[in-house]
Amino acid sequence: MSFTNAQKETFDLLRGVNLDVEKGKITALVGGNGTGKTTLFNIISGFEKDYTGDVVFEGNNFNHIPAHRISLMGIGRLFQDGQLLSGLTLMENMKLASDDKTGEMPFSSLLWRKRSKAAEAVKEQQAKDILVRIFGEGNKYLNMLNQDASAFSYGEQRILSLARLLMGGDRLLLLDEPTSGVNPVYIDTIEQIIREMVVEGLTVLLIEHNMHFVRRVADICAYLDDGIIAKLGPTAEVLDDKNVRNSYLGL
Amino acid sequence: MEYVFHIIIMLNIYIMLVLSANLTIGMANLLTMCQAAFYGIGAYIGTYFLMQFSLPFLVIAGLVMLFTGLFSCLVSFASVRLKGDYFVIATMGFQLIVYTVLYNWTDVTRGPYGIPGIPGIKLGGMYELSGVYEYLFMSLALVGVVVFLFHHLVVSPFGRTLNAIRADELTVKAMGRNTVLFKSIAFFLSAAVAGLAGVIYASYVSYIDPTSFTLDESIFIISALFIGGIGNTKGPILGALFVVLLPELLRFVGLPDSIAANLRQIIYGLALILVMYYRPQGIWGKAILK
Repeated sequence: MSFTNAQKETFDLLRGVNLDVEKGKITALVGGNGTGKTTLFNIISGFEKDYTGDVVFEGNNFNHIPAHRISLMGIGRLFQDGQLLSGLTLMENMKLASDDKTGEMPFSSLLWRKRSKAAEAVKEQQAKDILVRIFGEGNKYLNMLNQDASAFSYGEQRILSLARLLMGGDRLLLLDEPTSGVNPVYIDTIEQIIREMVVEGLTVLLIEHNMHFVRRVADICAYLDDGIIAKLGPTAEVLDDKNVRNSYLGL
Repeated sequence: MEYVFHIIIMLNIYIMLVLSANLTIGMANLLTMCQAAFYGIGAYIGTYFLMQFSLPFLVIAGLVMLFTGLFSCLVSFASVRLKGDYFVIATMGFQLIVYTVLYNWTDVTRGPYGIPGIPGIKLGGMYELSGVYEYLFMSLALVGVVVFLFHHLVVSPFGRTLNAIRADELTVKAMGRNTVLFKSIAFFLSAAVAGLAGVIYASYVSYIDPTSFTLDESIFIISALFIGGIGNTKGPILGALFVVLLPELLRFVGLPDSIAANLRQIIYGLALILVMYYRPQGIWGKAILK
């Protein structure tokens, strides 16, 4: 994949990336800034269409499918700056992440009131269950379900955005720098949420610059350099590799 | 008393217009400058049906809403390709095209001469409404239904999704929602209700010409929306009250008409500046345009 800048100069960004993500495992994608990690996420989740090659998920080819349909096929995404949706309450954020769209067409919740109310009630219960599983019984977020997103700190929004992903019925989650800009207090919680995701049978592919976090969390690590996967293997092996330490970590 | 009733009828029409603008601007975050174009399209299409066929009001209203809604596809198509300022300019272009067509296609619209003698709405295809009292009750009933339906849209899962699109469209896409479809539906409904307001206006005043559906009128509707507030139902109603009642209140100050008209524009402008500065979500609004 290449891009052309305003001066009409063309750069190769990804050139022959070949990455198998193992089911039920946490795979970390590491590499320097501008190496195309987020672009690769954009390709997988349908936000980038100008590329050649194949994206295959559970045996199905995902090439050039619109982003919203890819999500419905089981791939969820946390964006690099992903937070709760402002202007919506925590509960509304959770409900919107559900893959059940009952009542979302105009006036359908008026015409089929009972069905819509029942679907909303199921989503509410699901949201509460997720929050209990992650933060424990009687946690403060259960009393803040009707608070606007802006009532939560950046770190809280980040962990709640991760928790929100559990609403979607996804099977693969793409997490773009989940610990970015987050207070160390919340990093343990993020680790706990990611582990909870795997327990629930999800597969996680994450981009991360915090190498301590990658070491703790990831089963497999892929090092992206110069447009290709330069090294792939167990996390410790990749991060301790001499070339990776030289070129990426500068050690 | 007829004077007061006339003001209430015009207020009802503007409540419909400002509420319709709220759906696209206030909820889907799409700043459209062509609400008056849809208002005009509805008025002209409605006039055609009123003058050519003796159809019941509900049929005419349905046809007008359908056809005006279809015109909105042109704008929603632009929203897929254009973002931000470019989209605003495109909607402005649509507004100018519609006005130019209404003004110059004289064989159909009679251009600047306008269309006089538009018959009243027929209830059940039989009883033709006439006079300020009958239009007062009809417009009150209609605006009641529109307010109820719009309030439902705001608090429904559909409204929740539109609000989410306003906050972060990419995240909503990643959640499996077809944001283009949601925005297109919002445009369709918005245009349809503006068209409905148009046919009510045309049959009530029994005369239309293109000068009622200019870019100025679109700006006027948006000003009402921003002053009242966006993202809920109360804000647009308050905005419509403000812009419709202000000139009437100025009459009682006893200023000459020429001064009152200019003063009205100055007050609208000042109100907009103050609201944008001190309360960007509007007097009674819920959200801020991004």
